[in-house]
Amino acid sequence: MVDGMWEQHGEDNRLRLLCSGDHEAFSWFVDKYKETVFLCCRRLGLREDEVEDVASETFMAAYKGLSRYSGRSELSTWLWSIAYRKGIDCLRRNRRERQLEDEQENEIAAGRENGPTVVTDGRETEQVVWEAVERLPRLWRVAVVLHYREEKAIADIAKIMDTRENTVKTYLFRGRQKLREMLSEALGEDCNAGK
Amino acid sequence: MLGRTLRRHSEPVPADFTERMLRQARELDEKRIVSRVIWQGRSALAGTILLGAAAIVGIVALPGRIGALLSSIGMGFTGRGGALIDRFPQAVGVVRNEWQLYAVLAVLLAFAVFCLLDLLVGDRVRMA
Repeated sequence: MVDGMWEQHGEDNRLRLLCSGDHEAFSWFVDKYKETVFLCCRRLGLREDEVEDVASETFMAAYKGLSRYSGRSELSTWLWSIAYRKGIDCLRRNRRERQLEDEQENEIAAGRENGPTVVTDGRETEQVVWEAVERLPRLWRVAVVLHYREEKAIADIAKIMDTRENTVKTYLFRGRQKLREMLSEALGEDCNAGK
Repeated sequence: MLGRTLRRHSEPVPADFTERMLRQARELDEKRIVSRVIWQGRSALAGTILLGAAAIVGIVALPGRIGALLSSIGMGFTGRGGALIDRFPQAVGVVRNEWQLYAVLAVLLAFAVFCLLDLLVGDRVRMA
């Protein structure tokens, strides 16, 4: 309990320093959230060269905007919404070349219809699950990762994705359904993806 | 199962990413300081030019009015407090009649004072 209080105090102090533009606090901030930002960029389906650019843009935008951070939402939710926006902007910027890439990818995907192959060679379940998640449509994938990995509430996800809560619920429902289908084939059991 | 499995995953990040971000943040701060200094210099220069130009235009175009204005201000500063209070309604009348000229002069004066203060103590205020 006391440890928790000190931790909270330290966190508040760091946040205060961070908002005042302290470089050490910013370094802590990047260290803490870089994985989250890269996760967001990759789940949005950005190319590897774009991922790093968008992650940098996200942290710089956060650095510029930290003095205006109100604390109304969690810091991670605020950062996710910046990363998501930047990622979507990047996708829009490169829409034409991405259309070509998606077409090629769809052709390849058609060849390996129905997602991850059955686990017979002792592959980790984790890898199979991630492969299945990666095969979900972009927005379902982001919603699933936000809800199940980042443990964000529906309202927060709606805020991040700038959409309605009902839409998020639909993404999650469909994502779970699709995952269940894919995983039951791959793992050879009845996977209840929602639990 | 899904949540547990997804949480176990760690996302690969370039090793020197934090250092690069820190470098970019420092560069951004430097740029901000430089642009602030440039803006400060420009506003001080603009203030000086505007006030100088206004003074020249005023003296050339309206010598009578400027003379009267300066002498009334001078009178106010030379210990004629009492007389000024007596003449206050008259001064208000003069300002009311020539309010456009006084308004322009007031704006110019305010801008000049702002530029001067910014030049002298602007940095200290911003740092605080």
